[in-house]
Amino acid sequence: MARSAPTTPYRPPGFWRRLRQGNLTDPQLAVMLLLPALLTLAVVMLYPMLTVLWQSLHFQRLNEPFRGTPFIGLRNFQRMLGGEGLRWSAVKLWWLRVLGLATLPALAWAARRRLLGKGTAVALAAVALLVFGLLLGLQPGPGGRWTDARFWNSFSITLLIIAVSVAGAFLVGLPLALLANVRSRMRWLGRVALLLPWAMPRVFAGLTFAWLFQSQYGVVNDVLGRIGIHGPLWLARVAPAVAAVNVTIVWKTSSFVGLILLAGLQSIDASLYEAAVVDGAGSWQRFWHITLPLLRPSIAVALIFRTLTAIQTFDIPFAMTRGGPGRSLETLGVYIYNTTLALNIGYAAALSVVLFVLSLGITVVYLRWIYTE
Amino acid sequence: MTAAARPRRQPAGYVVVRLGLVLMVVNGLFPAAWLLLTSFKSEDELTHLPITYFPQHATLHNYVAVFQQNPFARFLVNSTVVSLGATLVCVLFAALAGYALARLHLTGRRAILTAIVMTSMFPALVMMVPLYRLFVGVPLPLLSPLVGYLHALGWGFMPASLNSPNLLNTYWALIIPYVALSLPITTLILTSFFQLIPEDLEAAATVDGATRVGALFRVVAPLSAPGMVTAGIIAFVNSWNEFLLALTFNTAMNMRTVPVGITLYQGQFAFPWAVISAAITIGIVPLVLLILFFQQRIISGLTAGGVKG
Repeated sequence: MARSAPTTPYRPPGFWRRLRQGNLTDPQLAVMLLLPALLTLAVVMLYPMLTVLWQSLHFQRLNEPFRGTPFIGLRNFQRMLGGEGLRWSAVKLWWLRVLGLATLPALAWAARRRLLGKGTAVALAAVALLVFGLLLGLQPGPGGRWTDARFWNSFSITLLIIAVSVAGAFLVGLPLALLANVRSRMRWLGRVALLLPWAMPRVFAGLTFAWLFQSQYGVVNDVLGRIGIHGPLWLARVAPAVAAVNVTIVWKTSSFVGLILLAGLQSIDASLYEAAVVDGAGSWQRFWHITLPLLRPSIAVALIFRTLTAIQTFDIPFAMTRGGPGRSLETLGVYIYNTTLALNIGYAAALSVVLFVLSLGITVVYLRWIYTE
Repeated sequence: MTAAARPRRQPAGYVVVRLGLVLMVVNGLFPAAWLLLTSFKSEDELTHLPITYFPQHATLHNYVAVFQQNPFARFLVNSTVVSLGATLVCVLFAALAGYALARLHLTGRRAILTAIVMTSMFPALVMMVPLYRLFVGVPLPLLSPLVGYLHALGWGFMPASLNSPNLLNTYWALIIPYVALSLPITTLILTSFFQLIPEDLEAAATVDGATRVGALFRVVAPLSAPGMVTAGIIAFVNSWNEFLLALTFNTAMNMRTVPVGITLYQGQFAFPWAVISAAITIGIVPLVLLILFFQQRIISGLTAGGVKG
């Protein structure tokens, strides 16, 4: 019986053959397309993160190379977070702590109204109790000291900036978004005014406001003088400098929050408002019962990104006062920068890890909040 | 675009809205306007009390001084090259990744997108030291020991160790990290943009004999041009504004970018505000132009990002 010539058994075309023919399977093509982005992120993000984790466990001072880079375990963190002879005081930073503890009833209320998951509420309450009830009240007694007072100083100023600037950016950003969404002949101008602070480099914003807040020739003190108030030396005294920097940060970041919220507003179906008008709802009721609930996802996104950038605050305090006067505006970011500049690489890495863990913690809390919605 | 949310109401509300709009414009534009006014005043006028609001003797002297005191033109060129380079690479990478994440069947693509977006919470500050050392030149992990081993075996043409190239004071030292800094948001924007393009168009192209990649470049790419413009603007603004990495990586005078260059005008004790104002004014001109021409694009791009995020 004549047999036909033996044929090679069917083999699915391999990767290279498919590549030559421009006929890759979906997963193959997807991996190829994702590769450039993922490689870049691996080099610029993943590699530094792993390096920093590794360095934070080592002693390394570039100005003392003879001491080498011995492995010292968690000693860097101990130096940063630990302390000796600490006393707890009820009055230290009391206003900030009362402010922080005041969120507890709000949390309880939100949990009861099921605005928050029970687990999230308990976790948030525990963090608030720990930070505002305990940690911020600590101070070294006689003979004791913070093992790193500069770290705690930078930590509390960063917390302050997060609290003030996130709340401020939201409270300013929401009206900005509502106004930018109003139909009017001035809308384009309003939108330019909304976009400019967003597009302006943070360093420029810092310098610009440093000039506006200049104590002698600045416009802020001039305006204050005209209404009979003798303006303070804004950037040379601690409290005014903190206020001025926070105002600058709120100005710069409220437009970003406003843009995200504007995006959310535009995705709300206009027919809902028409129905509400038919039902006789006033504008305040429409805002409270339609706009705000539907805006919740956008608010969450805006708050996450704003909080994460607030943790990293560096450019604006650096441009305005270099972290001064004294060390009153040395945020975690500025402290890491200064530590790096002092060539204390191991310790700077440990500080970076703390910064990163802080961001991670906040992200997880927010994400839980979003996904339970 | 959906219609504006609120219909017109009674005059009282209208006045409030009008007032709010005026406040909003003042809030957004006043600092920049004040800079512009300051930049036309002479140093004498600035240090004269009571302060003047409009320049008495408008002068362009400060703008000349900006270019005389420092190589500001060079800063502008550097910023432009770095920002444009980073923008192009970033949009290309983000478009490829966004297409894969939006269209191709790949298990875990949501997880990949989440991971990419999450990297945006990684502070530039933390990347500073490791990237600095990488850009100075460190032995490449895995590759360097391998090469050294072959060298020791007697392969003389192999170097004893393989270091990463010294990129400090080159454009690449900034372009590479800037691409990574903008990748999360641009990928997010382009992914949601690709999801809006009807899949049938692509299917039709494949029926007509185009390959997948061919369809990607001939059908999808032109349709997604608006999304790419938005992503590009955001990447450009991010790159133009970055300060910390530019400050540490490119320390040679002729490689500085505009934000870093502007801090050079401050003396140890004196702030020549007129000159600084002029420099900042020049530095934000490109951004103002982008805003004026592309405001709707930027806002709709952020819409896409915001809705998906």
